[in-house]
Amino acid sequence: MVEFPPAQEKAETPLGLYVHVPFCATTCDFCAFYQTVPQGDAVPRYLEAVAAETARVEWAGRRVATVFWGGGTPGLLRARELRQLGEATLRCSGGPPEEWSVELAPATVTPDRLAVLQELGVTRISLGVQSFNAGLLDALGRQHMPAQVYRAYELIRAQGFASVNLDLMFALPGQSEEQWRADLAEALRLAPDHLSTYCLTFEEDTALWVKLSQGKVKLDPEKEAAFYRRTWEFLEESGYAQYEISNFARPGHACRHNLNTWRMHEWVGLGPSAASQFGGWRGSNPPDLALWLTEVAAGRRAQADQTRLTPGLLAVDSVVFGLRMNEGVRLPRLRRRFPTARWEALMDFLPKLIIEGLAEASVEGRLWLTPRGRLLADSIGSAIIAAFPSENLTPIL
Amino acid sequence: MKHDPTLTRNFCIIAHVDHGKTTLSDRLLEYTSTIAKRVMTDQHLDSMDLEKERGITIKMHPVTMTYPAKDGKTYKLNLMDTPGHVDFSYEVSRSLAACEGALLLIDAAQGVEAQTVANAHLAFTQGLKIIPVINKIDLPSANLELCTRQLEDILTIPAEEVILASGKSGIGIEEILEAVISRIPPPRWSDYPTTRMLVFDSKYDSYRGVISHVRVFSGTFKAGEMMMLMSSGQKSEIKEVGMFHPGMIKCKELRPGDVGYIVSNIKSVDEIKIGDTITHANKPAAEMLPGYKEVHPMVYCGLYPLESSDYEKLKVALGKLRLNDSALQYQQETSVALGFGFRCGFLGLLHMEILQERIRREYDVDIISTYPSVVYRVKKHGGQVIEVDNPVNLPDPASIEEISEPTIKASIHIPNEFLGDMMSLIMEKRGSCDHTDTLDSTRVMLTCTLPLNEILVDFNDRLKSITHGYGSMDYELGDYRPSDLVKMEILVNGDPVDAFACIVHRSKAETQGRSLCEKLAEIIPPQMFKIAVQAAIGGKIIARDNVREMRKDVTAKCYGGDISRKRKLLDKQKEGKKKMKQIGKVSIPPDAFIQVLKTNH
Ligand SMILES: Nc1nc2c(ncn2[C@@H]2O[C@H](COP(=O)(O)OP(=O)(O)OP(=O)(O)O)[C@@H](O)[C@H]2O)c(=O)[nH]1
Ligand code: SF4
Ligand SMILES: [Mg+2]
Repeated sequence: MVEFPPAQEKAETPLGLYVHVPFCATTCDFCAFYQTVPQGDAVPRYLEAVAAETARVEWAGRRVATVFWGGGTPGLLRARELRQLGEATLRCSGGPPEEWSVELAPATVTPDRLAVLQELGVTRISLGVQSFNAGLLDALGRQHMPAQVYRAYELIRAQGFASVNLDLMFALPGQSEEQWRADLAEALRLAPDHLSTYCLTFEEDTALWVKLSQGKVKLDPEKEAAFYRRTWEFLEESGYAQYEISNFARPGHACRHNLNTWRMHEWVGLGPSAASQFGGWRGSNPPDLALWLTEVAAGRRAQADQTRLTPGLLAVDSVVFGLRMNEGVRLPRLRRRFPTARWEALMDFLPKLIIEGLAEASVEGRLWLTPRGRLLADSIGSAIIAAFPSENLTPIL
Repeated sequence: MKHDPTLTRNFCIIAHVDHGKTTLSDRLLEYTSTIAKRVMTDQHLDSMDLEKERGITIKMHPVTMTYPAKDGKTYKLNLMDTPGHVDFSYEVSRSLAACEGALLLIDAAQGVEAQTVANAHLAFTQGLKIIPVINKIDLPSANLELCTRQLEDILTIPAEEVILASGKSGIGIEEILEAVISRIPPPRWSDYPTTRMLVFDSKYDSYRGVISHVRVFSGTFKAGEMMMLMSSGQKSEIKEVGMFHPGMIKCKELRPGDVGYIVSNIKSVDEIKIGDTITHANKPAAEMLPGYKEVHPMVYCGLYPLESSDYEKLKVALGKLRLNDSALQYQQETSVALGFGFRCGFLGLLHMEILQERIRREYDVDIISTYPSVVYRVKKHGGQVIEVDNPVNLPDPASIEEISEPTIKASIHIPNEFLGDMMSLIMEKRGSCDHTDTLDSTRVMLTCTLPLNEILVDFNDRLKSITHGYGSMDYELGDYRPSDLVKMEILVNGDPVDAFACIVHRSKAETQGRSLCEKLAEIIPPQMFKIAVQAAIGGKIIARDNVREMRKDVTAKCYGGDISRKRKLLDKQKEGKKKMKQIGKVSIPPDAFIQVLKTNH
């Protein structure tokens, strides 16, 4: 029996902490995140339950290296509520984390909130801009105006956070390439430290999906591919190095919390719908506030889709998700980390990727995708999963 | 009550495809209260899902109606709705043999078409009384004068016999029913001294076993009696008899003139041949009723389960389908690319497509088919002649003296102005025109000989497009003719795929190779890797194309919370590929060939 994770691994794997704040004022058309409109005493009950949930985690003295508050809209919490959530976070992190990101919607950015965040030790703000074009914002069902973006950005900068990210979206219905270029240029003018550019995704159970199935909007992979390429080239030229499919940063500003995820390290997720990969297991909380509250009260967490993390599973996933990053994967290091995985199967497949110009490799055994390969990362991912025949998910009842 | 066969009439409805047979049947069923208006659906007798979806009749459907006629007597009318499509003309001849008369429908807007003539001839030769009905007269484009003239000129049916009707608006229904009674003779041969009934169809029911559809000519049949199949002498006890209303309803006894069904102890469909005569075991008849010509499949293809573990399931499916469809033939075979499967014979491409669809739906087996082929006769040096229905089995060219291919005799009806274009199509398809007949001042009928393999693919579509939908064709198998034929192989990513091999005429190999590669490259879903599709003859590449390259397949957002979800999706994506057949690196959709054959240029 192989013990996992191996003892020496525990010490060197950085641990991330994700807190899901499930509240939004309204629902955006494209949104598939779990979120709800805060009603009655939902917020105080949520905050208490997060604190209770932290107590359920078997931390085993592990230090939290990075924290990420996402949503929903964490900024919907009032300053005092943010402080309460922050204190709960700090109680389990075992000291101030090296990186602490908070997602904010432009309309929620206020000096008092920012002050509390700074005081808590937040290092990184991620601002959900999506677009600077009022028409496109409206078409997405977003609740802010371009003017609010500028104001929010100024306030954040004035507060002096170490790193600021802007989230943008492209390939929106009716968006021309010029419009997208204008959005990018406008984002660059603000000189953020980090940019996330997301291709609009049609997720099931969203208003956008309904429009798609009614034929009101159409999928256009050619257009999407062109937008992707253009974005990568343009940002590269502008000094923002791509480090993942949708993420770009100035030197030293890559989001470590997310790198940690793609490297198949460990993370603990708190709040409804939050996922954890920790202590040999992977699983999620129920994507429903009331259900999650009951679970926490009953002392349960991360029960949905529970999967045991075998070395084989982690090996495949390290490659599949690692290839999303421009740095790719270091195969010798992964082989050392998961020596029992059936690497031979993969070794037959990987050369094909190189021959076909989808990937490149260095002599030391680092493998990464070319731009064309990155555009096909999902197909490559499922081909890799298929190449490892025995490593299917092993659900736990 | 004493049974009086003179109060029974047996008739079928025949016509060119889509001329409104099933819709007219609806009105007859309604008028005779066989089916109450509130449960009536459009094309009610088309009960199979596939029939409903495609709006065509595939199987003949018998139904018994009761009609109080104007002469004060109440008649039992046995109606059979038949399919119009040429692939199913076998169904028409089987129903004709069980009837004394036929309603011949002509679409008032289309006039006489190829199957109108073919089916009318079938009815004439069987000695049936024909009642001509010009249907769909509600259509604004109806041309009654032209239709009447065509009936007189082409089929020598006198104008005064014509009934005008509309199945849609319910015009002429009573007139038709009265004509059935006054013009169609009562059941023939009912005074034959011993008992005889004709098996015109059979069906397999998982509870009751084989259900034979029969037309009684003389004598009576009851449950409990012993019957005998005249062709084999096999005896069996009759367990149930009944009639179609149109669902199967049990009755006490079947009597002369009746159309109904019998359930016996016979469990295997192969034991009851369609066209056989059933008689009483203890007092057998001396002569059999005239049976049917055996039908022979025209087109063959290999059918393989997508999952090799489904082989048994596919075998069972074919066995059951054969019970209801004696025209289907199958035999086990193996393919390098596809594993274990069956070589199946069909009456035509539509028949092939319908059966594949039924296997997928009714038996829930995912299948892939090979490229269809006709049966070639190969004469080897030394005189030995073999039949080849699978291109893979074509012997080494060095050992072949001559290959012959089957031809068809086609009669093609077209408006005069398209004669030139039609002739060039026939030339292109390596055919020859034996003679041209003037049907009337606007239409001609071409009698031609064409190689069967040339009409398989897109002949009918081309015919329709040349004639703007006004041309039609009927055909029957002709003789075999020597021809310069070669085997064309298709290579996917450099590997020959046996399932794609086909036999083509040398002069057309290049064009066909190019178009096949082009279509396959189009149909194979975009691939991550560069994949070539090539056609080769004797190892020499004659055409190539590239499968489309996949442009984008990547999830934009993938963070901690998405890992599990994404993992599942990628897993599913991998599963999704299983719905296709993996050949080397490439996933081929199971219906690739049906699609290839369908796409026109
Ligand atoms: N206007 C008009 N349309 C009709 C009439 N009868 C049938 N149709 C239409 O013609 C089409 C074919 O009708 P069906 O009754 O299925 O024809 P069919 O002869 O049974 O067809 P097959 O069994 O496939 O040969 C359908 O779209 C009908 O709605 C009619 O009297 N008038
Ligand atoms: S603000 Fe964010 S989480 Fe809330 S609905 Fe919009 S996209 Fe979804
Ligand atoms: Mg019909």
